[in-house]
Amino acid sequence: MTDTPETELLDIPDGDGEAWNEYALKQGWGDGMPLAVPTEAAVEKFVAVCRGDNQPFAPISPRQVVPTLKSLAANAVMAGCKPEYLPVVLAALRAVLTPDYNLHGTLATTHPCAPMLLVSGPIRKALDINCSSNCFGQGWRANATIGRALQLILLNVGGARPGEMDRATHGSPAKYAYCFGENEEESPWTPYHVRRGFATGDSVVTAMAGEAPHNINDHGSTSGDGIMTTIENTIAQSGANTIYGKGPYVVVLGPEHAGTLHRDGWTIESMRDRLFEQARVHVSRVSKENQQSYAEAGHVPVNDHYKIAPTPDDIHILVAGGPGKHSAWIPSFGGTAVPSVRVAGG
Amino acid sequence: MRIVNPTFGVSAAGGEAVAVKPVDWRTDAVAMFSNSKPNARELLEGIRARLADIRSVDNIEFVHKNSASQPAPAELIDAVAGKYKGALLAIAD
Repeated sequence: MTDTPETELLDIPDGDGEAWNEYALKQGWGDGMPLAVPTEAAVEKFVAVCRGDNQPFAPISPRQVVPTLKSLAANAVMAGCKPEYLPVVLAALRAVLTPDYNLHGTLATTHPCAPMLLVSGPIRKALDINCSSNCFGQGWRANATIGRALQLILLNVGGARPGEMDRATHGSPAKYAYCFGENEEESPWTPYHVRRGFATGDSVVTAMAGEAPHNINDHGSTSGDGIMTTIENTIAQSGANTIYGKGPYVVVLGPEHAGTLHRDGWTIESMRDRLFEQARVHVSRVSKENQQSYAEAGHVPVNDHYKIAPTPDDIHILVAGGPGKHSAWIPSFGGTAVPSVRVAGG
Repeated sequence: MRIVNPTFGVSAAGGEAVAVKPVDWRTDAVAMFSNSKPNARELLEGIRARLADIRSVDNIEFVHKNSASQPAPAELIDAVAGKYKGALLAIAD
């Protein structure tokens, strides 16, 4: 990155799109993919959408500077957002700035976590956020650019530069963009955000410093108990960061698995209790050196098993995705929380 | 072409720059600052032992943060800045 003068407006060399991208990437402003130009006119369209949102932002780690609405909007423009996406981006930023999220730790860690963004409520439909088939994947502008905008904000305003303040050993493809919607329409249970105390009509962004999704394949089980057995054994991994640091995780049930579980009487609470008790790692699967290391950090096995989540409340279960016998497990960084923030005006 | 600066932000209160004074690594009090990852202490102890070849080590002390996954508290950083002229940090893994 080159030194950038600390002014809100910059005069840069004129040029075409290719010249702009060369310039921006040379400044260290990008993720390697092409960026839209944050002209004053483009930024103003975004800012106009959020005029009424006057709640101040906390300083962004690791650089510890307070952003302006314009600098945030500039990153959303660069990411390819539509102006109406900006309130979701701002809610996502407020979520990761929640102290318990531990933004500094999750950005500076060697672990491959990225801010996973779950969008719930009516704004999913208004913005065409994909909640169904391939919801973690490519093809939807809102999913791709909202997730990307947050990453650019953390890079450009926060200063989380790969190899510098972002010390990830490998990183993750999830660090490009990691945003999806809850499939409330195909969920047999109360929507996730309502279970967290929001109104049905609220639009809410939930964030977690998570790994990319781990697939849970179960084509053979025809009972809820069978599916739970597969899920708990997928989660019980001796290499999970949460065995080392303990922390929350997300289980994203595909609608077909969810339907079977619901038919057999499983509730969100009973699934969380089952996973808390059964998704544990036996000491025989943990090296002696790690057992000693964990003991020194106060993590000791219970009945010869290591817990993955501290409590059942740290297990977050929801429905997303389309047809197919798959679900997903999203482990967290460990020392983090899962804050939910209402989208202003949403 | 005029653009909005995507890096622009206002420094948080207390984030003012301070003048850095030169450290004499042969004599000054030094902190060995651990990030609390496994083996960080062993690494720093090895460096402290090597430093004994060129200096007294009775004013080299070990400091650590409480959690590997959390940033060092501001009070701890202030305490280290107030007590030592230099610090060697064990970062990453």
